[in-house]
Amino acid sequence: MTVTHPHDTQAPDHRQGRDGQVPRRISAAAFLQQREAVLRTWPTGAGVCLEEAIEYQRAIPLAKRFALAMRDVAARRGMLVQPRAGVALIDEHVRLLKYLETDGEADLLPTTIDAYTRQNRYAEAALGIEKSITAGTSLLNGFPAVNHGVEGCRRVTESVTKPVQVRHGTPDARLLAEISLAGGFTSFEGGGISYNIPYAKNVPLRKSLADWQYVDRLCGWYEEHGVPINREPFGPLTGTLVPPCISHAVGIIEGMLALEQGVKSITLGYGQGGSIAQDVAALLTLRSLGAEYFRAAGFSDFELTTVFHQWMGGFPENESRALAVISWGALVACLAGADKILVKTPHEAMGVPSKEANAQGLRATRQIINMMADQGGLATDAVERERVILEREVRCLLGRVWELGRGDVCEGVAAAFEAGALDVPFAPSGQCRGKLLPMRDHEGCIRIFSPGLVPLDHELLAWHRERLEERARAEGRRVSFQMVTDDIYAISKGRLVGRPR
Amino acid sequence: MKTTQTPVVVLGVIGSDCHCVGNQILDAFFSERGYRVVNLGVMVSQEEFIHAAIESAAVAILVSSLYGHAEIDCTGFRQRCRERGLDDILLYIGGNLVVGKLPRAAIEQKFAALGFDRVFLAGDDLEIAAECLKSDLARRARRERRRIA
Ligand code: B12
Repeated sequence: MTVTHPHDTQAPDHRQGRDGQVPRRISAAAFLQQREAVLRTWPTGAGVCLEEAIEYQRAIPLAKRFALAMRDVAARRGMLVQPRAGVALIDEHVRLLKYLETDGEADLLPTTIDAYTRQNRYAEAALGIEKSITAGTSLLNGFPAVNHGVEGCRRVTESVTKPVQVRHGTPDARLLAEISLAGGFTSFEGGGISYNIPYAKNVPLRKSLADWQYVDRLCGWYEEHGVPINREPFGPLTGTLVPPCISHAVGIIEGMLALEQGVKSITLGYGQGGSIAQDVAALLTLRSLGAEYFRAAGFSDFELTTVFHQWMGGFPENESRALAVISWGALVACLAGADKILVKTPHEAMGVPSKEANAQGLRATRQIINMMADQGGLATDAVERERVILEREVRCLLGRVWELGRGDVCEGVAAAFEAGALDVPFAPSGQCRGKLLPMRDHEGCIRIFSPGLVPLDHELLAWHRERLEERARAEGRRVSFQMVTDDIYAISKGRLVGRPR
Repeated sequence: MKTTQTPVVVLGVIGSDCHCVGNQILDAFFSERGYRVVNLGVMVSQEEFIHAAIESAAVAILVSSLYGHAEIDCTGFRQRCRERGLDDILLYIGGNLVVGKLPRAAIEQKFAALGFDRVFLAGDDLEIAAECLKSDLARRARRERRRIA
């Protein structure tokens, strides 16, 4: 394939595809009306008063504002370190977060929400809380923030000195957002695609997109009242060999949808794929294309930062090997110049980590970041090649979404998933076709084995195929589904590419 | 009952769990080994497992749980199977079965007490699970023949 320079490819004026329509922000009246119904979906909703919550948020010290921390780190070209963590009970959760900010030296804190709450199954979360009290240990895989209510959340956010973010995987996060923002969290992860397709069985996309417009409107509301709330679309999706063009397209769309509702601080995410060249190129491209598309959509008043997730697929069970995977991710994040890194733990393959294991991941990451601090990024021919290709791919995908949406991004997304023009590999959701199949090439880059109905141009697809044929020749076998399976297991079994056994 | 029929197994991920990568691999794995796999995918309730097992005259239910809530999600499962007339069905479970890290013996004990015939951890070799299923089914068939004779 002849590699064209980025400037040769088509400019992304997506307004062309939107019939000149302006962004559609939910009106104050419609928003406030919907709020009433949302707050009634579980008793703790009654504890939220928006005016009081805004006052409360305004009093939060600047050092605990997520958006400011992100702005700051981008300005000084550093990288902030953040773990994932959440347990069932408030005191236990506070102890965990305090440990991570002291012993773990985390710059930013999480509160990972349990899986019942993510499905709005609050009665089951209540049972999990009860059983955890009896068992004397957390039987939930996260913090049930809705059940604990505004006061419970405030006890958490007031107990620590670092900014705290809600991290979850909730298709309908309206009540969770209301309660946790009133509870003092200053950043909220997710989006209408990234918290639906990997996390649900069959929630209609139009529904999750609308519910996330509500969440974004709520964040925008705080922003308009002088309280910046950082928003972070979930980049890694299924964490399993996701081609970067797919996650980039989704992230850029979700960023735009958040901006439409008045959000200003956006952190776009990317999950490590495994090829250093591809990963560095992907992060650079995410930043540049994100800014380009946001501007083309008419937004100028935004702060765009990036987050790199250490390997999100299956981990090795052996803890030393797991720490190697963690450190390798940290190195690539440095080479790519990410603003933030999400850290895994040596317990990843086994279960929710102990606080000690969590701090081990943080310290290994910190060591790498410090050693890399005075070294530059990575600029090689391979990185440049991957950038050019990825940009072209993202333009193909987004171009089709705008076309299908004819002025309405949400409609375009729903139509694109229906048509298979957007597709996420290994997703549980019936809302995506699941026809797109990825595979590693000979060097470990994630390529497209079966494109399904994704609208990449022929030249691109032929190029992907040729890269895979090259691997197949080297392995003395044909390009086949077996290679996909081998790739899924490869890192957990000790290498990047799933070579024949 | 015709013994030459392809044995049916019901497969799914229980509760609110959305992890589906292993599920897709297990589907292919057991299909390749001569079973008809009724795959219910992710987020399957006890009731859905039981209903599908009755409908398909399944010999086994293969439950997955990766996200840590298996104990809560599986409480009362065996009893409910009995109540619905599935007295004899094999119940297998595999995955990341508890929140956090516990010794294998403790995990096996927990899930044996919940009525599971076999318990597998995420890293276990699938070939061993296939062997177990084969021998458990053979033992069951012998018992059945003795009962009839
Ligand atoms: C990829 C991944 C994700 C992806 C999943 C995408 C998707 N929809 O599938 C994303 C990022 C979305 C995700 C989300 C979450 N995840 Co996750 N995830 C993983 C990860 C990294 C790999 C899982 C995987 O795909 N492995 C590859 C496949 C092939 O292996 P497998 O799933 O283990 O399945 C095999 C075996 O278990 C076995 N098996 C499974 N079932 C059965 C049944 C029988 C009968 C037999 C014989 C064998 C068997 O055979 C399968 C095939 O080989 C694991 C950690 C790891 N393993 O490294 C965590 C992990 C499973 N996730 C975890 C959790 C908790 C979550 C969340 C709840 C978030 C959170 N609180 O951290 C959410 C899920 C929300 C929900 N509603 O379910 C925890 C579970 C913790 C625990 N048990 O204590 C893990 C272990 C990570 C950790 N250490 O914290 N996750």
